Amino acid sequence: MKSYDVAVIGGGLLGCFAARNLCRRKLHIALLEAREDVCTGISRANTAIIYPGYDHKPGTLKAELCVRANARFDALCRELDVSFSRCGSLRVSFGEKADAVLRKKYENGLLLGVPGLRLLSGEDAQRMEPSLAESISSALYAPTAGTVNPWELGIAACENAAANGAALFLSTRVLGIRRTEQGYQIETDRGHFSCRAVVNCAGLQADRVQELLFPSPVHIAPDAADYLILDKATGNKPSHIIQYEPEDGGKGFNAVPTVEGSLLLGPSERENETDFAVSAAGLSFVRERAGQVLPGLDLNDTIRSFAAVRPNPQRPDGSSIGSFVIEHPGLAFWSLIGIKTPGLTCADELGRYLADKLAAELGAEENPAFDPCRPGIRRARELPLSQRAALVRENPEYGEIVCHCEEVTKAEIRETIRRGAVSVDGVKRRVGAGMGRCQGSRCERTVMELLAEELGVPVTAVRKDGPGSEILEGGHGKN
Amino acid sequence: MEKTELLIIGAGAAGISAASAAWDAGCRDIILTDRLPYPGGVLPQCLHEGFGLAAYGSELTGPAYAARLAERLAQTGVRFLPGREVLAVTKEKTAVLSGSGGIEEIRFERLILATGSRERTVGSLALAGTRPAGVFTAGQAQEMINLHHWQLGDRIVILGSGDLGMIMARRFTLEGKQVLAVLEQGESYGGIARNYHRCIEAYHIPIFYRRTIREIHGMPRITGVTVENLESGERELLCCDTLITAVGLVPERELIRGLEGKPWLSLAGNCSRVHDLADSAAAEGTKVGSLVAGQLLK
Ligand SMILES: Cc1cc2nc3c(=O)[nH]c(=O)nc-3n(C[C@H](O)[C@H](O)[C@H](O)COP(=O)(O)OP(=O)(O)OC[C@H]3O[C@@H](n4cnc5c(N)ncnc54)[C@H](O)[C@@H]3O)c2cc1C
Ligand SMILES: Cc1cc2nc3c(=O)[nH]c(=O)nc-3n(C[C@H](O)[C@H](O)[C@H](O)COP(=O)(O)OP(=O)(O)OC[C@H]3O[C@@H](n4cnc5c(N)ncnc54)[C@H](O)[C@@H]3O)c2cc1C
Repeated sequence: MKSYDVAVIGGGLLGCFAARNLCRRKLHIALLEAREDVCTGISRANTAIIYPGYDHKPGTLKAELCVRANARFDALCRELDVSFSRCGSLRVSFGEKADAVLRKKYENGLLLGVPGLRLLSGEDAQRMEPSLAESISSALYAPTAGTVNPWELGIAACENAAANGAALFLSTRVLGIRRTEQGYQIETDRGHFSCRAVVNCAGLQADRVQELLFPSPVHIAPDAADYLILDKATGNKPSHIIQYEPEDGGKGFNAVPTVEGSLLLGPSERENETDFAVSAAGLSFVRERAGQVLPGLDLNDTIRSFAAVRPNPQRPDGSSIGSFVIEHPGLAFWSLIGIKTPGLTCADELGRYLADKLAAELGAEENPAFDPCRPGIRRARELPLSQRAALVRENPEYGEIVCHCEEVTKAEIRETIRRGAVSVDGVKRRVGAGMGRCQGSRCERTVMELLAEELGVPVTAVRKDGPGSEILEGGHGKN
Repeated sequence: MEKTELLIIGAGAAGISAASAAWDAGCRDIILTDRLPYPGGVLPQCLHEGFGLAAYGSELTGPAYAARLAERLAQTGVRFLPGREVLAVTKEKTAVLSGSGGIEEIRFERLILATGSRERTVGSLALAGTRPAGVFTAGQAQEMINLHHWQLGDRIVILGSGDLGMIMARRFTLEGKQVLAVLEQGESYGGIARNYHRCIEAYHIPIFYRRTIREIHGMPRITGVTVENLESGERELLCCDTLITAVGLVPERELIRGLEGKPWLSLAGNCSRVHDLADSAAAEGTKVGSLVAGQLLK
């Protein structure tokens, strides 16, 4: 049986950042993830906004963590070598009721110390962001809002945790948890683990994982959301994050100029749906809102649509919970249940919070050897030509472009595989190959060949994402 | 930095024809470049016959047609630089190339863009449903099957009845796969009549008009699609293990974004407009090549 100080269950953003921050202490960490790669759950499909923090009630943990997380985000992304665009956000209204909501949020933000907030008239907002509809009545400008690629951030945290000694167990699903004298014993489909402490970051399953040993007073009631992505070359793309404040108290909407240069539109809202399948009605909603808020957009430039699932936390009586749910049902057992927005923004802060609590319980010392820095994958396209030429002389595969849309070289793709990508989508999540306008139709074949070569498997065994997703015949059909 | 009078990007039917014609017209300083390691563009993956009726008076396969173009190119002094991706073209009339041999910058007097087209993908259709394995564009499938002998699936649905969709329907049939349906939103097939007769009719492949796909099912692998009858609005589930999309080609002009209309820039082949026939892309290349050479020699 493998023995660790802490078992982190779930390799999404929250689990990866919990593991990273636990490494700041002298603790042996195991990160257990059911799927064959990290960040393939909620962390793979969300709005990607780093929130300024003006939304939350003063005095709550959410407010405190969000404002702090935002202020630290440049430093975090420098440490983890992840792109971060602090593009600022404009929350826009189309009438008096929503104007009033913006004023409230503005005042709330001032109370919380959110820097640089400004209330703008409709005309001023339009001057700042000419792509906005003329009928806008007011806007709340937050210069500190930004955006990252969520899975790039989560994978970076995971790599950083591993570099600091955390052991990563993929394709390892937790099936049972028992109490022992030393702490806990975790049963998985890959054997047993014994540990002194458990951190449950199982995302959509977090309530059920807690129930493997303790009752969970919080239940997750999932619902789904849809998004559209427009090509980076689309016209009239806003340069700020645009957030729509509905007049009728209905659904909000965001347009996010992503770090990749594309434009993310969404989400829609659908009740009682639990899978990541896109709905036509959801997409129509997104299109309609986009047309209303940013009338100059050309939705024919859509390159992809996808669905997300929200882990809404509920009390037993069915009422929803607005605050972060951090459960502590037993000694050295912590659960994050139903962490929605701003869970991406706060991932590192939540990890730090849990690590501090656990360190106190376990009496763990600081780890002086902890290195917060993780070098990212060297990207040829980001180098000046002279350096790029030098890199190609060193390794000719830095000259061979595989993904034409995002300019990803063969050498970079090999590196993603050496860092843990085991599928076509795993490569895409690490280096963006296949994320552009041709959606992998021109590079997928070469990516598959590189995966087969590096993993030492026939090309028929290469998967899109996870077991059963073999791309060619001879791979699927057998299972 | 290297210098050339005429740079041609893309060595497909159009680019090779442009280079050869420019040479024939007297231009002696020409560079032709392509990201692929071989000349011909999409032609080498088009194993079927039907190329070259207009140009050579006989029906050639894609590779044979490409070989003829390459032969003609070899008789010229055009410098052919394969295996290089052009990363950027600047308004200062330079192009940046990347290949395993290094990064090169080339200064040119005139540029002919012959970068062909890319396929519209299923992503741009924003269909409802899942995002499983087993969905390919027709050109991608053509390359995987014809050049790499990969097997994609057994029960195939093809969306779109342009030439590429119809040709791939026959390809799958010849490979022993079952093409369950070719679905076309229009009232008639989208490609040329010859391809309809030779690919669809001759092999009795079921083709349905006024039909589209509304939803994709299955995860992690595709298990079916919801097909809508655009006349009656009726929907039905069609089970399959592979979906091929042939929903159109888009001229590939990303390199010259912002440079459109520059007097030193000309376009030929599918990047200027989508040509049904390679012959017509080649003819346009020939025309543009001799025109540009004439202007350079003046
Ligand atoms: C629609 C939507 C939009 C959002 N937008 C934003 C935003 O703009 N800004 C922001 O700050 N936040 C946003 N969020 C919040 C943020 O995305 C989430 O808080 C964060 O991704 C949650 O990550 P997670 O690690 O909890 O979940 P996940 O990424 O789902 O990770 C949980 C992991 O646990 C694994 N697991 C489950 N059960 C087991 C088991 N038994 N054994 C082993 N492993 C298991 C799963 O496989 C999964 O990988 C959004 C959320 C949603 C849903
Ligand atoms: C996928 C596909 C399949 C087809 N199949 C058939 C068929 O079966 N039958 C039929 O009659 N017609 C078919 N056609 C149509 C016909 O073959 C074409 O109209 C014709 O061959 C196009 O020639 P072209 O030179 O314009 O483009 P292409 O042959 O596409 O050549 C363009 C070249 O430019 C290169 N290139 C592009 N960008 C760059 C860059 N940045 N740097 C370097 N090089 C670059 C490409 O590698 C390519 O070699 C097909 C077209 C496509 C796109």
